[in-house]
Amino acid sequence: MADPVVLETTRPAPRSIGRSALLTLPLLLWALLMFSHAVDLRENAGRAAALLTCAFMVALFFLMVRTRRTYRWRRVFFVALGVLFPIGFIAQLYALRGSMSIPVERMLSGDTPFCFLAIPMLIVPAALTRTVIFPGSILPTASNPHSVATMIAVWFAATLVLGKAWCAFGCFFGGIEEGFAALPRKAKLRDLPPRLRWVPWSVLAAVVLLSAATFEPTYCMWLCPFKAVTEFPEVRSAQTAIQFAIFGMLFGGLVVVMPLLTRLRTQCTLLCPFGAFQSLFNKLTVFDVRIDRSRCTDCVACRRACPTLVLDEAAVTAGGPGISCMKCGACVDSCTKQAAVWHVKGTPIAARPETARLLFLYPAWSFATLFGGSIIAGSLAQLLRPLLH
Amino acid sequence: MPRLTSVLGYTGAALTALAALAGPFVLYGAFTQGIAAMGLRINPVYSGGPPAREITRPGYRIVVYRPVVPRAPFSFARSFVQLAWTPAGALPRRVEDAVDLDGDGRVDLVARFDVPSDAAAPLFLDVTPAGGRVLPLRHVSRGSFSALIARVGDRIVTRIPLAPR
Amino acid sequence: MLGNLAEPALLGFSSGLVCLAACGPVVLPWLAAAGEGGRGTARLLAQFLGGRLVGYLGFASLAWAIGLALPLPARTNAFAYGLVHIALAIALLVFAVPARRRPEPCARLSIFRRATTRSGFLAPVLLGFLTGLNLCPPFVAAGVRAAERHSLPGALAFFLLFFAGTLVWFLPYLGSALLRRLPAVPTVARYTAALVAVYYLLLGGLTLGGAWLHG
Repeated sequence: MADPVVLETTRPAPRSIGRSALLTLPLLLWALLMFSHAVDLRENAGRAAALLTCAFMVALFFLMVRTRRTYRWRRVFFVALGVLFPIGFIAQLYALRGSMSIPVERMLSGDTPFCFLAIPMLIVPAALTRTVIFPGSILPTASNPHSVATMIAVWFAATLVLGKAWCAFGCFFGGIEEGFAALPRKAKLRDLPPRLRWVPWSVLAAVVLLSAATFEPTYCMWLCPFKAVTEFPEVRSAQTAIQFAIFGMLFGGLVVVMPLLTRLRTQCTLLCPFGAFQSLFNKLTVFDVRIDRSRCTDCVACRRACPTLVLDEAAVTAGGPGISCMKCGACVDSCTKQAAVWHVKGTPIAARPETARLLFLYPAWSFATLFGGSIIAGSLAQLLRPLLH
Repeated sequence: MPRLTSVLGYTGAALTALAALAGPFVLYGAFTQGIAAMGLRINPVYSGGPPAREITRPGYRIVVYRPVVPRAPFSFARSFVQLAWTPAGALPRRVEDAVDLDGDGRVDLVARFDVPSDAAAPLFLDVTPAGGRVLPLRHVSRGSFSALIARVGDRIVTRIPLAPR
Repeated sequence: MLGNLAEPALLGFSSGLVCLAACGPVVLPWLAAAGEGGRGTARLLAQFLGGRLVGYLGFASLAWAIGLALPLPARTNAFAYGLVHIALAIALLVFAVPARRRPEPCARLSIFRRATTRSGFLAPVLLGFLTGLNLCPPFVAAGVRAAERHSLPGALAFFLLFFAGTLVWFLPYLGSALLRRLPAVPTVARYTAALVAVYYLLLGGLTLGGAWLHG
């Protein structure tokens, strides 16, 4: 398989600036409303961050509407989110306690912010004992606004809207590897065995079963590569040292090196159990990506473009990537025959693909502006504070 | 039939947009309350369990929590009992307390630790069992979830592993 | 008399959920990787439970015969725990992970090879045996009660009834036969078994290391 590049396509002319601006207007109003609450507007840094982020998100949406492309502009937002979230998070940690390690006091007091990656592992233990195997708090507190209930509520609402598109519009970790994957012009490592795309499902099954057996969040304790850029338990024993080494190796290997070699989102493709979990909810959403077989010439451009190995030969023959598609738009933007199209379930394939795309983009980008945009604004405010104080 | 499915599809798309707009104003709050109403609590291995009784001392009190027995067979955590001395600011420089865990009139352990004036300084715990309910501890700081001493807010929290029965 | 029968059975029934959760990482990937239908899954599960019973009874006999008072000393417990987990990991890697082929119908196979093929009995019995030895808290509690019996047959009977009490909780595993409809399931299950095996290796190694260093 050649490089997963998004090829230049023969597609309709760009939408006029006026029409694009009109279609962007609702998003502009939404963004203004959201950012008036996202950061502290009483300080210069907050106002600047809110303005910059609002302009950033609105501009990207305008470009998506005008150019009739999704992937390229979505990626800009996603990489910005992936870069700024850890920077802001780590800066906050150092300001609060001078370290990225989680002191046991924080766990005992229930102040550990809840991470959505833990959700699949909580289900069986919670069903059996009505306890949550995470050292946080059920309801938000002054010291921990990211409680279990709050974050699960955000996830649930996002899943209703996005399904697996969370992985392309919501996940604040995915942008890190997407950024590395975008750097090289050509992939040095090609033709990863397609069966490897089942590994995330295996990781999901293993961590769910082991969490039920051990009553510990197994993925968080042993396999999460993003501990390397957020927070991790203090290293004070052989066990925690091994855990830290695993986190570091997985981050370095799957988030940095492999995306540079393959131009794929390899952590998402080869490890992330949350992505597999989100795939189960792709049936909830009315949006999907389909391949119009009457137009497809099997040029494999879409397969090369797919960043997660979801679109293989069988999927193209079957007319679509199935439940693991995160709706990033790479395949649609790369198709020269407009055979890969956005689609609303129940409607004829390729009848109104641009309508389907816009109907999807409005809720998806609204969520991205609310969730990812507020994270970007918060991190920007932190970075700008020393300059604008 | 195709027209009906198209209508349903576009209706679903409209509802999705509505859900995205309603999210921050209605959905998040409703879902948060719904999850809170499920009666979930943080696993006692992390939270220490509910308080069981209090022992009064001059100027402070010792909160004895219900023993935590991890149900999972492969858990790294052992059974433990959590004790909390509060308020930390009112404790003497050296604490040495005989504690009756279950109120049966018999001392189960003697706990000793120093309380440094610097709240950020590490704490060290010694426990001498009396009666076989708990395991001894020597100069333990923050070893594991089942054997530790830490300052959490205005409490000195200790966890003492229970002897196997 | 009825009370004597009821106690171990009720103890087993009340502990069954823990057994279900503890055996899950071993049983589910194994059954799903085997890709058998309803009858085949029931046969494999029965062989697994048979091995588990042998593990229980064997341990009960050993403990009663040499007069060990349960619970075991912590260091002995830790060594046993660690070794069982490493053995479980190896068994999973040998039996559950490789893609297995059905033997040729007319092929002459040694007893060992027949036993280790997909339809053979060695794998589920061994996995059940090792899972039965895992010294989980309900098992230890049952062991303490059994050791208090005045005779070996009494101790074995106690464990047998305890085992019977846990059996009903294993019935949901028969549902794994439904998964064979999805073609990717055997692959996912094999990879899952490999991950679980690596975890058990790590768990066993850390436990052994901790027991050796700290006692």
